[in-house]
Amino acid sequence: MNDRYASATTSPSFNPWPAAIFVCLTVLAVLFLAPTIGVLLSSLKTTQDIALGKLWSLPTSLYLDNFATVLTNPAIHTYLLNTLLIAVPATAGSIALGILSGYVFAKLPFRGSDILFLAIVAGMFFPPQVILIPLFRLFNGLGLLDTLWPMIFVHIAMGIPICTLMMRNFFATVPAALREAAIIEGASEWQVLSKVALPLSLPALAVLSTLQFTWIWNDFLWPLIFTQSDDKRTIMLGLVFLQGQYSVAWGIQGALSLVASLPTLIVFLFFQRYFIKGMTMGAVKG
Amino acid sequence: MNLERDKTLWRLAMLIPPLAVFGVLVVWPLFSSFYYSFTNWNGFGANYRYVGLDNFLQIFDDPLFMRAIVNTVIWMLAAVILPTGLGLVLALLIDSQVPGASVFKSIFYLPICLSAIVVGQIWVWIYQPDWGLLNTAINLVTGGDSHFAWLAKPGTALYAVIAAWSWQQTGLAMVIFLAGLTAIPSDLVEVCHIEGASTGQRIRQVRPATVVVVALGVINSLKGFDVLYIMTGGGPFNTSDTLAMHMYNESFKKYHMGYGSAISVVLFLIALAIIFAYFRQLRKVDQIYE
Repeated sequence: MNDRYASATTSPSFNPWPAAIFVCLTVLAVLFLAPTIGVLLSSLKTTQDIALGKLWSLPTSLYLDNFATVLTNPAIHTYLLNTLLIAVPATAGSIALGILSGYVFAKLPFRGSDILFLAIVAGMFFPPQVILIPLFRLFNGLGLLDTLWPMIFVHIAMGIPICTLMMRNFFATVPAALREAAIIEGASEWQVLSKVALPLSLPALAVLSTLQFTWIWNDFLWPLIFTQSDDKRTIMLGLVFLQGQYSVAWGIQGALSLVASLPTLIVFLFFQRYFIKGMTMGAVKG
Repeated sequence: MNLERDKTLWRLAMLIPPLAVFGVLVVWPLFSSFYYSFTNWNGFGANYRYVGLDNFLQIFDDPLFMRAIVNTVIWMLAAVILPTGLGLVLALLIDSQVPGASVFKSIFYLPICLSAIVVGQIWVWIYQPDWGLLNTAINLVTGGDSHFAWLAKPGTALYAVIAAWSWQQTGLAMVIFLAGLTAIPSDLVEVCHIEGASTGQRIRQVRPATVVVVALGVINSLKGFDVLYIMTGGGPFNTSDTLAMHMYNESFKKYHMGYGSAISVVLFLIALAIIFAYFRQLRKVDQIYE
């Protein structure tokens, strides 16, 4: 038993607080889960059942037609593939650039580097609407509108603040003596980075990969602005578009939401610790 | 010295790629927005001219802009009250060594990894007039037969969206508070327990985390767009418009890109002020720990 409750458990009278807290949390947890459970239930029911008000009852038989409809729709394959084609290179690209700048800010500081670092990190907090119009014009001028390129470029650029922040903080924990020893033995900064600092920073890379992938996968604004044709849509954009097509087919919409969220849910289930760590680090250590 | 020169070269080699990308795709567009805000550009072609402060003067004559400002402020206040308050309560409850703490933590945190689009869609169903969870629950309690359309009524649309958004943000606030609570050395917690410290005293200990959560909530409320877009689109009758939404509508629905740029400049200045205040507070927070 934990020390903090030692006094409570040794006292002769019954302490109702732990039980009360547990009950309280359980009630809140049920309320919090209800929306997600609702989607899950709807995806397993016919539209008729939902309209008849049977959404919140447990399904009596396993009805998977909604998922079959979603998974056999070729448009959805295209949306998923497009999103993957954006999320993977953009995640890798932003982390690669963050490694470079993070290393300089941690190990090769110079006059004014603190200010430069703060200015980059501040970029994390700005509403993207601020740069929407000039980027639209830029990609229009380059003839890249309605391709996947604008999203890849923009997500790499917008990822630089968080990647720089996280990598700098991590590289800062690598002992300076390690770097100096390697430099004295004739290693270049690049070798120190790739052979010494980076292998020690795998947890930071895991944190950043989960964060960046989830954000980019879930993004909506940039593809909304930069794409037009159906075969260039990302999954979140496709979700909104198909809502019109399946406007009263609530069950299909539910299945669609779940399929679209599946990659990020898997990431969450397996890398939850990294995810939470990244979110708190990014927020607190600005 | 040769080593110093090497260092400078490496600094340049390593900083130029990220700074070039960041400069071209973030910093330069930021300044371009200022430039376009003084023009009447329509989004296409090179046919636009300098109009001085016209766009900014138009802002004060635009009832929709004023509406958007008021709604954004309401959203900010709600962001400070709802996710922050609920997040703190959840964090304190979970931190009390309750059994299954990690399960509770995951449940409250889960919505964060859903996209705003999916969150919006889920809540559209909750507010669905005929079989949505909210009306079903109300009818169950009151025994009535309510078919209230929460998202279609001017009086409730904005708050309905804010509730959905708060549902997602609460988990984030909770983990930041938890990080703050666990950052307090455990021997300190024990001292507090021995001396019979009240919950109020513990809350004061998480003040640094509170700064972070409030600032993040306010900043994130400025970005609130996706969830609004899918739930109400700013409607009905623009009653749930925010600055971000208004900027999008003016720029990419009506193609008033010059005016849209002016709105984005206002958005930028508000964000800048908040970030400035936040960084100053963070410095103070750091000093407390040092």
